[in-house]
Amino acid sequence: MAWVRLYRNYIGGGHSTVVRSRPYNPRAMSRCRSAVFVMLALVGTCLLLTTLALSSQVAAQGQASSRWWSPGDGRTLAASLDYANPDGALGILNTAGPIETKGHPFFEPIGTNGRACVTCHQPSDAMSVSAASARERWRETGGKDPLFAAIDGKNCPNLPQDDPASHSLLLERGLIRVFLPWPPQKADGTRIDPEFTIEVVRDSTRCNTDAQYGLTSRNPTISVYRRPRMAANLKYVTAAAFGVSPFIVKNGQPAARDPETGALVSMNMMADAREPTLRTQAVSAAATHLQVAGQLHASQIDRIVAFESQVYAAQRMHRGAGSLVEPGGPPALGPAALASGSTGTLGNNTTRFVFPMGDGWKALPRTGDAATDARNALRESVARGHDVFFFRTFWIRDAMHINSVGLGNPAKRTCSTCHGMHMTGMDTVYGWMDTGTTNLPWARESPVSPWATQVAELPLFKLTCKATVAPHTFLGRVIYTQDPGRALISGKCNDIGAIVMQQFRGLAARAPYFSNGSAATLRELVDFYDRRYNIQYTEREKEDLVNFLSTL
Amino acid sequence: MRNRLIALAALVAVSAPQLGGQSPRRVNFVSCPIVQDTATVPCWLSEYEGEQYYLGIQTDISAEFDPPYLGHQALVEGIVSDEPRICGGVVLKPVTVSPLPELDQSCSVIRPAVPQFTVPFAPRPPGPSGGRLAFDPPSSSTADLKPPYGARSFDVFYDVDMLVMGRHAGQLTEIFNYAQKIPGARLKVAAGRGATKLSNGRVLAERPGIAKARAEEIAELFVGAGVSRSAIQSIWRDDPEPADGVDDWRSRRVTVRVEP
Repeated sequence: MAWVRLYRNYIGGGHSTVVRSRPYNPRAMSRCRSAVFVMLALVGTCLLLTTLALSSQVAAQGQASSRWWSPGDGRTLAASLDYANPDGALGILNTAGPIETKGHPFFEPIGTNGRACVTCHQPSDAMSVSAASARERWRETGGKDPLFAAIDGKNCPNLPQDDPASHSLLLERGLIRVFLPWPPQKADGTRIDPEFTIEVVRDSTRCNTDAQYGLTSRNPTISVYRRPRMAANLKYVTAAAFGVSPFIVKNGQPAARDPETGALVSMNMMADAREPTLRTQAVSAAATHLQVAGQLHASQIDRIVAFESQVYAAQRMHRGAGSLVEPGGPPALGPAALASGSTGTLGNNTTRFVFPMGDGWKALPRTGDAATDARNALRESVARGHDVFFFRTFWIRDAMHINSVGLGNPAKRTCSTCHGMHMTGMDTVYGWMDTGTTNLPWARESPVSPWATQVAELPLFKLTCKATVAPHTFLGRVIYTQDPGRALISGKCNDIGAIVMQQFRGLAARAPYFSNGSAATLRELVDFYDRRYNIQYTEREKEDLVNFLSTL
Repeated sequence: MRNRLIALAALVAVSAPQLGGQSPRRVNFVSCPIVQDTATVPCWLSEYEGEQYYLGIQTDISAEFDPPYLGHQALVEGIVSDEPRICGGVVLKPVTVSPLPELDQSCSVIRPAVPQFTVPFAPRPPGPSGGRLAFDPPSSSTADLKPPYGARSFDVFYDVDMLVMGRHAGQLTEIFNYAQKIPGARLKVAAGRGATKLSNGRVLAERPGIAKARAEEIAELFVGAGVSRSAIQSIWRDDPEPADGVDDWRSRRVTVRVEP
């Protein structure tokens, strides 16, 4: 079913409502193989037709396999690329011009497991990697691609490597294992005394209870599972401007600094803000994800950071709205707008806007030509979706690091209150919040009952705030979470489940969404917030929001 | 906690002077906050002994008034003003509102907007701003000082039983920046345990140990920001401060003295 859903999703064949939670079962896979083959043939035909239709508008990169950048491919990365996706096409803009990837440390397998940075930061996937691409790689390589490296491309390193069930979180949700020491450590290696204790309630990955890799192992380690973030548009992510301060405006704690320069940093990179700069992130990622033996050379770090700093990614073509970068169109759309946009700017205002859309798509004429009128109607929907994002108020409640920072609980605000950074929709700095994506009772959980067949995919932890500290402001003293987020770094109760928000760009190219991949589609993302905050969106508001998000 | 305090309130009369007297009428009480929605931003209210008090409105992070939290009771310490009621509430001005740390899910009232309640002063709409913060940021007390820089004390005020929060970031930054101006500066941290005399005559004291926790946290924060640990001296007093019902919120305090 998962494979079928893959192709349904790829061709945009409706929203999947199937919750596939059981690990892969090879025997069941075998029984289904013939049926799947027939389905693949049918779906493949649809896929071909879709691709052909898009090819007239989009300079997509040849065959499906060439979408994937394997380490050491040695190809030239053009200055501008377009990649088809179910919502149209993503644009990649490489502002430094064509890059010869041969010998480039971002593209070469510089570690011991065959991976390169590009393995999890694929141009076709907005410099992230989608779950669909992971499944495609599994199918094309029989699971031999270094993407599936045991260290973190598997639910736990000691599971059988060739069994897709061992990689279920990557294949189903696009999640990479992130393993962190417990208790947390400062940059100098000294231990932090956490404000809470942590227990494993359940873990179908078995990694957190594993004698070698778990919380009770010789080197106590906690494993959480997160989506790879975009390695693009990073001038926004790293800008230390509006709101940057020696003490963090969300909790009063000391802000991180660049270890080389001493300058304050945005702390907006990675789900838990554990790395302060692109340079330290490159070093850390090389050691963990790429399993580099020894140290990266300074020149390698320079080249990786330089490349990451010059790449922009955003949707450039939309299946219904057509070109997103036409003259007179919304100024925020397309990768070139990102390349020229101002950084460190709060956009939650009517002077700069988070995503400046202009008025060009607000009221478009009807021409009598069906195709043109359909395009115009979709463009109007996108414009309305922006206004829902920007102006539609609702009660934001019990969201740590937003309700606690001077707005009160609840606060009558809009999406752009939290997602306020100009051009990306992140927070301007110190972007971790608990919007409920990983903490119960809001995080997506499989139903448990005698009649349910699903099993929980993600581990569940019970965190208890110690009696010597105040309880979590909105969740109390005992919190159940799938990922403690920032708290795994800070050790603070109020940081439990707080996740640094991601960019709202290139969304159509990199499903699923949220740090734990719990929203398979943009519609599920919207539905999550509708439930979480009792927003009571109308069906039209939801459709408009999805259309808007799919153009970013 | 809330039920106990309500029971106490029923037994003990309000001790504050009556409105119109020589001294301002103060009310200090613990109660649930209430949200009164309006056509623009919501008002924050609280009820005590059959009266409804207006605390403030939602604006943005630049406001002096931090709205409290539903899901928590709050300690309200204010002076009854003679201004017209807002959102149906007697205006407390000035007012200090401190959420209590423990959850109380009975504090959950959101009243819908009705035409008779409007907000006369709404510098910030509920959605995006017009391009500026609702209020000008408070001016720094030290930014314009010229050398030589002398000893200077800074007071940091807290919510009941709480440690440093986000709203302290600006003040900590000012202390840090001032200390950075003085080569070899020393920081003397003196922390207290607060207490408030409520209008029902009872005294609400902070938990034992909070003064030590505050002193240690402040020291850790400055060390984390780059101040040498050896330059910081911390003391604390675990006996609650005396409370008389007049600006008792000032007793929930840490004083940081920066010395050359």
